[in-house]
Amino acid sequence: MEASTPNPNPNNSNSILSSTPVWPTIDGPLGLSEEDSLSYARRFYNFGYALLPFLWAVNCFYFWPVLRHSRSFPRLRPYVVASAIGFSVFSVLLCSWALTFAIGGEHLFGPTWDQLVMYNVADRLGLTGWS
Amino acid sequence: MAQNQRPKSLLDSLGEEIIRILTPVSICMFLVVLLVSILNSSSSLSVSSIATIAYSETSSDSSWDKFLGALLNSLAFVAVVTVATFILVLFFYLRCTNFLRIYMGFSSFVVLGFMGGQIALFLIEKFSVPVDCITFSVLLFNFAVIGVLAVFMSKMAIVVTQGYLVLIGMLVAYWFTLLPEWTTWVLLVAMALYDLAAVLLPVGPLRLLVELAMSREEDIPALVYEARPVTLHDPASGPVQRRIWRERGNVRRDSVGNSSSNSSVNVVSDSNSTVSIVQASHNGTRIARVEEGQVSERDAELSAPLISPRMDGQDGTSAESLMLEGMGLGSSGAIKLGLGDFIFYSVLVGRAAMYDFMTVYACYLAIVAGLGITLMLLALYQKALPALPVSIALGVLFYFLTRFLLEVFIVQCSLNLVMF
Repeated sequence: MEASTPNPNPNNSNSILSSTPVWPTIDGPLGLSEEDSLSYARRFYNFGYALLPFLWAVNCFYFWPVLRHSRSFPRLRPYVVASAIGFSVFSVLLCSWALTFAIGGEHLFGPTWDQLVMYNVADRLGLTGWS
Repeated sequence: MAQNQRPKSLLDSLGEEIIRILTPVSICMFLVVLLVSILNSSSSLSVSSIATIAYSETSSDSSWDKFLGALLNSLAFVAVVTVATFILVLFFYLRCTNFLRIYMGFSSFVVLGFMGGQIALFLIEKFSVPVDCITFSVLLFNFAVIGVLAVFMSKMAIVVTQGYLVLIGMLVAYWFTLLPEWTTWVLLVAMALYDLAAVLLPVGPLRLLVELAMSREEDIPALVYEARPVTLHDPASGPVQRRIWRERGNVRRDSVGNSSSNSSVNVVSDSNSTVSIVQASHNGTRIARVEEGQVSERDAELSAPLISPRMDGQDGTSAESLMLEGMGLGSSGAIKLGLGDFIFYSVLVGRAAMYDFMTVYACYLAIVAGLGITLMLLALYQKALPALPVSIALGVLFYFLTRFLLEVFIVQCSLNLVMF
């Protein structure tokens, strides 16, 4: 009688107790190996400082298993955690600014609201006139 | 019981593979139909581009004039595309792949940034969304840069890459639907014929490109949608062996050497003994070119033929893959569909949406049927095939049949309350 071993789910461990994932990326066996992941994580983190906070978000999404299991992949973890912090800080700032702008509207900003809102800017610069 | 697993056959994975390529095509078509129905009712935008260079349609011309004008336009467009593809073949032959990659990265950035920005602006104006220019520019910049990275330059989550490819297809397809009507239909038929000729004729540029890539075992830098490979896990086969999604030819060569010596070693998460069964990437490209000044057609490296999930012809890989087949790892690789096919399918459906939703349903079903037929031919012939002709032929046929025959019937039935 063959006992079929349960297939190791690529994102979880082989044993029940320890939860170290085998693959650092969300794609499992189709993604990167651990050595390649280090350079990618570092590169995504560094480039995120070039006004690209969504690159931090992509970093967190891609290396989600690293983020979820807190004691795995010790070399990758600092970068991914820093990206997560950076992205949340940025999104708090951006959302607060955007909501202030949208909800505050004219009576908070005065005439500058009309100058800043996108559809007027587009009309002024003629961005939608050409095709 | 000992025998509780039947041997895995092709049918177990066939449905899933087809679904994995049909889903993004359907999503792209759906998004284009959505955009067309939201945006086109409000403003009529006339596009002057390379596809209207010979004739720009006005509604006062007679049908024959319109048809002739459309024919001239399409011939001009196909000529430009042919020349551009031959130039691409020349560059690839001279091994300027870096230049090609930079050029394609740049064109994707332009598509995502400018066309995406314009469509976002249309939507903002339509719905009067109170977003300010700072937020908008930051978001657009991020969107475009990450798109270029995801598609070309770096490895990223498969979902992100596939999503951006679908978005690029959607943006270019929406742009094409802004062309005049007769021009669009004749252009679709002309591109289908061009695709047929370019991939199957021995002198066709796409076939040359595919053969060059095969002989050098390189990837063509092109916009190609690759579906996730289907892995059939056989529990008796031991630990999951690693496959690489979208790998390069040289890695494959290394892994051939490794695998024959490591065939019986258990692979856990050891990157040294990666075994990969990705098919040889045979890609063709077709370019829609941009010109400065008034012209608005954007550069897009579009890939035409449908790639077969083929095994590498070398003996090493075939032996290894047979062994892996015996261990139940399943099919040989994922299906690849060029982005040009996404675009032209969506253009057809978008154009149908400009008439009525009935034509949309008919054309969608026709295109899906055509894609199914093409996939079956792919499985039969095991080489790169043009994905456009069958689907476009069926789509155009069903559009005209629906518009001129079915609609009359259904309208009369509804008026007489026979069916709705």
